Amino acid sequence: MNETGHGNGIITDSLDYDAVVVGASLGGCATALLLGRAGARVALVEKQPDPRAFKRVCSHFIQASAVPTIERLGLLDEIMAAGGLRSRVRIWTQWGWVEPPPDRAAYAVNLRRELLDPLVREAAAATPGVELLLGRAAQRLERRGDAVSGVVVQDRDGEETLLRGRLVVGADGRDSRIAELAGVATKTLPHGRFTYGAYYEGPPPASAPASTIWFLDPQWAAAFPTDDDLVFYGAMPTKDRLPEFKRDAEAALVSYMADLPEAPPIAAARRVSPVIGKLEMPNRVRVPVAPGLALVGDAALATDPLFGVGCGWALQSGEWLADSVAPALRGKEPLERALARYRRRHARRLRGHAFFIHDYATGRRFNPTERILFAAATRDAKLATDLEAFATRRVGPARSFAKAVPRAIAVHARQAVARRRGDTRPAGNRVAGVRG
Amino acid sequence: MSGAVERARIVVGGAQPRLLQAGPPEAREAVVFVHGNPGSADDWEALIAATGGVGRRALALDLPDFGETIAPPGFEHTPLGHAEFLGQALEALGVERVHLVLHDFGGAIGLTWTALHVDALAGVTLIDTGVLPGYRWHRLARIWRTPGLGELFQAMTTRRAFRWAVSRNEPRGLPRAFVERMYDQYDRRTRRAVLKLYRATPDPGAGGREFAALIAPRDIPALVIWGEHDPYLPAAFAPRQREPFPSADVHVLPASGHWPYVDSAETVERLLVDFLSRLPAPADALERQ
Repeated sequence: MNETGHGNGIITDSLDYDAVVVGASLGGCATALLLGRAGARVALVEKQPDPRAFKRVCSHFIQASAVPTIERLGLLDEIMAAGGLRSRVRIWTQWGWVEPPPDRAAYAVNLRRELLDPLVREAAAATPGVELLLGRAAQRLERRGDAVSGVVVQDRDGEETLLRGRLVVGADGRDSRIAELAGVATKTLPHGRFTYGAYYEGPPPASAPASTIWFLDPQWAAAFPTDDDLVFYGAMPTKDRLPEFKRDAEAALVSYMADLPEAPPIAAARRVSPVIGKLEMPNRVRVPVAPGLALVGDAALATDPLFGVGCGWALQSGEWLADSVAPALRGKEPLERALARYRRRHARRLRGHAFFIHDYATGRRFNPTERILFAAATRDAKLATDLEAFATRRVGPARSFAKAVPRAIAVHARQAVARRRGDTRPAGNRVAGVRG
Repeated sequence: MSGAVERARIVVGGAQPRLLQAGPPEAREAVVFVHGNPGSADDWEALIAATGGVGRRALALDLPDFGETIAPPGFEHTPLGHAEFLGQALEALGVERVHLVLHDFGGAIGLTWTALHVDALAGVTLIDTGVLPGYRWHRLARIWRTPGLGELFQAMTTRRAFRWAVSRNEPRGLPRAFVERMYDQYDRRTRRAVLKLYRATPDPGAGGREFAALIAPRDIPALVIWGEHDPYLPAAFAPRQREPFPSADVHVLPASGHWPYVDSAETVERLLVDFLSRLPAPADALERQ
């Protein structure tokens, strides 16, 4: 520790680490935990002073793609002990249910953020080498040449400390202060929907513990059963529906959910949390690395919450970063090479998904390809399984569509032939439609 | 719970309209269902049964030249002509207070009746209809309204073309039996009546402001149900129904089209029955107690 100054906004301390991670939510904690485990000395800085702080505007759904990361972090047992649920997904479409057979489905993890966040933060703080610094907000960056080499943080009393690190990690969310201080360019893409949601106790949806998502083309709704026999009901309508929600958010939420086809029993349930809403949810895309700097989670890529990828991608990107830079922090390779590797991995795993997510986030209706895929997936279990692998982000779009599109065309062709032969099997959610 | 639906003929103004009815037949307050175009009293059978099942008198008529009702000689196919016919029928049936359930063109007819009988209105349920400020007729209506083209179009409306036209923009399709019945009832009389009715209604949004000024101070209980994907009457008009009915309970059904009582039948029945159950019991029911 070197003393470099005293009081009045002047830096009083400077501390040296291998990595300084700003933001002790899911992405930051995963990064710090795995870097600490790899032998690095890590400062994990959090603006909130309360170790039990948690993200409030979140559906808490952790995609199946991130479950291996949770297992690697050693958190799955703890999450389940805290009441977490393993939940597969059923998707309602106008053509029927897209629902892979339960034995072939992927299972997400559902645990409320008020339980999940402290649990993950505690695990990171307990990792040797990780020092959790609460109640400290990033003020400015220290640079050596072009490279970021540290962060000046300020505590609640106004005392500033310089945290030096060979790597600074911005894990501070959608509106990342670190990205802003570093001058990382942000690409903002519009979002055509808004969201309201709340936790309810009472009779569960018929399919619980499976999560249910309604793609109402273009409206959207979801029911996520979670710990303590609660259900998170979330609505994500297009913005033309906003006046109804502004009149009375709870009444609009209940009415919206209760009017769904095959509606969940929200009217018979009791609300046990505030109704949380977010009216503006622009997608933010940033290059996740700069000299001496990396971004994880929403700071790197904040996509549409509609697809429930935020929690999972925060954990996964933390894992990819830690794996990429750990050898460099031990001095085994240049940091630039490690950061380039992280950037490539981040892009390879998420860029394709993000492209489709951002396109749908505009609030548009299904395009013809999506209509063909969803309609066929309601009638073909294999296709439903393939689409679910894509939707749970375990398979990228190129591989997924290369298999799914030909299969969907074949399913429709088979159906057309069957119809010509007079086979009149019921057609999913169609109201025994004349178009079948 | 559902009540048995009785079918009968009544005599009104020289016509013998077909009547579907359930619930207490002598009640002076009734839930009155008014169909649109194309349509008939048959559209309402399930909802009449459900309404009768909760102890309320429910009834629907085939409007003149729709369904199985032949219009009397000289009948004027205008919203006012149909509204007056509806008024005469309700008088003949001994109905003094009305909860209207309106769909499509039934909205123009029912709201015209309302303007003539404001004191008799106990409540209203609007299904893909209502006041339509600034609305320009949908393409099909514009064709019907064009002399010559409308007649040609009606002559070319084969069963297959009809089936395609009514179903093509419905998000979840329509039951085949429903579409076939609509076509069976879409005979030459009805086709002629449709041309006259639409040609007598140049501006579907006309009078909305005056109607709202007349009716809004009464704050009449109202339920509004609208299919979000209605290709004829946009769902954006659903919240506008609060202009005449400030306390309206508005539901835009996200997976529904122009016929929510067909493609989201359970939801519409639940909303209607819940809504009726929240209204005061009919005055004559209280008297009977």
